[in-house]
Amino acid sequence: MKKSNKNSREQLAQTSAAPKSILRMLEMLVDTVRDYGVILLDPDGKVLSWNGGAERLKGWTADEIIGQHFSKFYPPEDVQRGKTEQELKEAAEHGRFEDEGWRLRKDGSRFWANVVITALRDENGKLLGFGKLTRDLSERRQAEERLKQQTKETLEMATVPVVQVWDGILLVPIIGTLNSDRTQQLMEQLLHRVAATNSEVALLDITGVPTIDTQIAQHLIETISAVRLLGAEVILTGVRPIIAQTLVHLGIDLSNVMTRSSLAAGLQVAFGLLNLGVSQNASNATRAAT
Amino acid sequence: MNESHLSVLKLRDLLLVTVPAEADDTTVSALQQKVLEAMERHEPKAVVMDISLVETLDSFFARTISETAQMINIMGSRAIIAGMQPAVAVAATEIGLKLGSIEASLNVDRALDLAEKPRRGHTSHE
Repeated sequence: MKKSNKNSREQLAQTSAAPKSILRMLEMLVDTVRDYGVILLDPDGKVLSWNGGAERLKGWTADEIIGQHFSKFYPPEDVQRGKTEQELKEAAEHGRFEDEGWRLRKDGSRFWANVVITALRDENGKLLGFGKLTRDLSERRQAEERLKQQTKETLEMATVPVVQVWDGILLVPIIGTLNSDRTQQLMEQLLHRVAATNSEVALLDITGVPTIDTQIAQHLIETISAVRLLGAEVILTGVRPIIAQTLVHLGIDLSNVMTRSSLAAGLQVAFGLLNLGVSQNASNATRAAT
Repeated sequence: MNESHLSVLKLRDLLLVTVPAEADDTTVSALQQKVLEAMERHEPKAVVMDISLVETLDSFFARTISETAQMINIMGSRAIIAGMQPAVAVAATEIGLKLGSIEASLNVDRALDLAEKPRRGHTSHE
């Protein structure tokens, strides 16, 4: 970067035959850039120059803003914290300062901006002022937030699947840790599905739950009693030895809840409750007969 | 709500009670009174309380329903609530309503089936 700067400076020197036209071209370039606000500030932070991009981005015309302090672009809380002076100080010390944050338009509305401030010095190192480049990232930020929201929704949906495994039997395989939010969702989803499908039995499978604590157990018990109020029975399945040990050590009373160690055993109980049976066909003959 | 609007039907050897959608405290109390009086007259095997119209639940309502069920039990009959809505079930759990001696069923149809069968233990212990 530095090298190319040097090169272009050398080139400028070489073409010093026509420096004025090149300066004029640079000016035109700066003024026609639309997506960046390109501003020059004096060492105190007062606006020296203002391009078309800056006008489009922030709303002020050159006449209105030149000579004003650049803290006008910052939300009041940032100005109070001394953010503007801090930025100039840092740019002066390190040559450059970059930031992303909220900036103000003339009408007071905010936009999410990427800002780069560069210190400009003469050959002797004397500070002449600052160059300030501003870009509007509102759209990118909105897109990011939309994506975040979508991901969250998808995850939430995926975390509480309620599956109908048989006419009258629902299965809820719980994977991962349960927190209050998730349990609330689980409860609502399960209740709606029980009511919508008129299911008499729901299997709550906790094989995929790594650990259980008092709070999670409480959440499960609440879910189970809510389902019972609708008139359906709940069977807690996938109670692994470690979970059984934890439950007993924590003193959690599950004597009112039907529990089974495996989903298969739970399914058998569910069939029993519905007076259903699974039979094995002895031969093709019996299969044909049925 | 006028008390005469409350429906307590004798259906063979059952009583079918329809709990109105917006039951205020007086209505709920009147309903309890009416159910118990009808029980005395008909001596039903079970009392089915259809609460499928009920969309909101307050603590008074919950307590009265649960007390009515206990009274029905003491008078020698089974209490079955039918058709509780999911949102009501959530609210009921939040205020800590326990089924206790009440039996629940998904709808009135199932409640009639349930009343035919001998009472299932609260849960099967093993």
